[in-house]
Amino acid sequence: MSGAGAAPVAAATGWTHGTASQLGDARSGKLADNLTGFGRALRRAGVPVDAARMALAQQALLLVGLARQDMAAALEAVLISREQDRQVFRELFAAYFRNPDVAQKLLAQMLPTAPEKSKGAPRRQRVADALAPLRAARQQHASTQEQKIEFDAAMTASDQQRLRRADFNQLSAGEYQLVQRLVREVALPLPRYASRRTCPGSRGSRPHWAAAMRRAARTGGEMLELPRLTRRDQPVPLLVLVDVSGSMERYARLLLTFLHAATARGQGAARNVGRRDVFAFGTGLTDLTPTFRHADGDAMLAHASAAITDFAGGTRLGEALHQLRRQHARRLVGRRTLVLLISDGLDTGEPAALLQELGWLRRHCGQLLWLNPLLRYEGYRPTARGAEVLHRHAHGMLAVHNLESLQQLAHSIAAVLQPQRR
Amino acid sequence: MNALASVDALMQALRDEGYLADRRLATAVFLALQLQRPLLLEGEPGVGKTALAQALARALQRVLIRLQCYDGMEQREALYEWNYAAQLLHLRAAEAQGRAADMGAAEREVYQDRYLIPRPLLQALRAPAPGAVLLIDEVDRADEPFEAFLLEYLGEYQVSIPEIGAVQAAVTPVTILTSNRTRDLHDAVKRRCLYHWLDYPERERELAIVRAQVPGASEALAQQVALFVSRLRSRPFADAFQRAPGIAESVEWAKALVALDTLVVDPEVVSDTAGILFKQREDVAALTATLASELLQPEPEAS
Repeated sequence: MSGAGAAPVAAATGWTHGTASQLGDARSGKLADNLTGFGRALRRAGVPVDAARMALAQQALLLVGLARQDMAAALEAVLISREQDRQVFRELFAAYFRNPDVAQKLLAQMLPTAPEKSKGAPRRQRVADALAPLRAARQQHASTQEQKIEFDAAMTASDQQRLRRADFNQLSAGEYQLVQRLVREVALPLPRYASRRTCPGSRGSRPHWAAAMRRAARTGGEMLELPRLTRRDQPVPLLVLVDVSGSMERYARLLLTFLHAATARGQGAARNVGRRDVFAFGTGLTDLTPTFRHADGDAMLAHASAAITDFAGGTRLGEALHQLRRQHARRLVGRRTLVLLISDGLDTGEPAALLQELGWLRRHCGQLLWLNPLLRYEGYRPTARGAEVLHRHAHGMLAVHNLESLQQLAHSIAAVLQPQRR
Repeated sequence: MNALASVDALMQALRDEGYLADRRLATAVFLALQLQRPLLLEGEPGVGKTALAQALARALQRVLIRLQCYDGMEQREALYEWNYAAQLLHLRAAEAQGRAADMGAAEREVYQDRYLIPRPLLQALRAPAPGAVLLIDEVDRADEPFEAFLLEYLGEYQVSIPEIGAVQAAVTPVTILTSNRTRDLHDAVKRRCLYHWLDYPERERELAIVRAQVPGASEALAQQVALFVSRLRSRPFADAFQRAPGIAESVEWAKALVALDTLVVDPEVVSDTAGILFKQREDVAALTATLASELLQPEPEAS
């Protein structure tokens, strides 16, 4: 059904009114409209869809025909390019193309069936929000009244188990200045390693044949000197795990901002930061890596507080690490990742589980550093159940309780890492 | 490609080559062929990403050119390289013949086609009709800067060589990229590609794959293997393991069971052969005889 009619059109380079009218299909014009609307809805749901892709999508539909199942597969292949967007796409597709006439109404007002679809996972909330901006606004308003804790306006609404929220959104002016100063003054000395990539240099084991040849061509085949290729230095990948349980709140915020600024690409001493992954953990694990892409520190914090759902709910590091292992194990690259674990070690989970997961983490990273704010107390001993396990497994334990110690962090990291480097 | 003028025809052609694609995948491949776009396949290890490229090459009767990516891969390993030794010899010869006076000419002579060593991307572009299938395997293993080398190829099917000019495709190569998602690929790459996420197969399809790949297995054995593995991947059992076995593992396991003359899978056989399904010590240990017998229970109709 799909192939025979569509095949001759494959030769057409693009979607034009000409081809559409040749097809003599009254639906195709309407379909183009619907498709554009669908693209808008996708964008609203946070799936990046540009005009080039929409044009490609129209071509694709001409090729596979209008059978619903093929249409879904074709649009998915063209419009989606990340695994995590697939669910959003499917639900949106189902809601959108159930009734093509709904297209205009969808954009303006809420779809009566949408609320039923949207109970449950936050993904679904995202879809519903894309379909019904008004509804989202109303909900947000309602839930603001329900909760007494100070609320972040940028947060997406959710009627689920978001119990308490970090007062996480903005730095005071004083803190802001401190962070700025720190970032200027403290260079995070991320260790570097010689990567497999090469660049021209004066030393090095491999001859730079291409350059040698170019020079020889000028001197009649005579090689006066042999240029070399040397291995390029690269910073080690960084994985940050920040404890956001209640006891850590004061530190978590500042440290996040500091790390965000200190590892921002294209800035100051940390210009050459490699891979950087950030997770917050309390009872579960939240991936903050996308929020770290915001250049602005306040925007990062606002998004982080919106993303973290288990703030001040206690620490279960074992479970968080379990989740890390199951879902994000590949963030640990080639056993050279530097893991910064920021926690006070007051763990409420199973010590046995923690022991096992920490063992795994230690085996799969280059260095595991525990940044512990409790180190401020003279004579602190890691005797709490979790702390004892952490202390045993970490390659080093550093203090981060105040700004002076943050300033020393750079030196401490360098000191801890030094003997380990080959 | 003319023979594959519809999604169904493509599915059939792949099936003939022993690759059982579901309709969604076939649609994506069909579009990649028709729209002449590279296809980016992502998915867990062992779900058949590489195998698809191989089957597709056979179905299209094109040569398969494979570029295995790795950390630190350079342009000279992926696109082209000059044959420096031969170039030097050429210069020497020119000098010996007394033509050394005109250095400019010598320099031009040295950078000509016969001193060019084509690497996979260039090979794919130059492959004579019916063209090539280029498999860029595990792109995520190469580092981010490397992706930039691919952009020109993925977008325009050409490679620019400063000394010669742009080399364009004789026949547009069918290009498949695979990624295990150890990191997100750059948007510039994704924009140029169609995208498909390969899931673990449903049990029916896995059964069909085992039947096709391991003809020696009895129907009952194939059924048991497919059921066992699909249960392993689903909750609550999946939580006990760090990594679920892929299709490659289930096929391998079925072959092993046939080699062991197994007629019926029992817990003992499972624990003996656990090393085929799982490649990590913790996982092998987790597949205890008790768990295995639970997994081997006949279909729990009620629950």
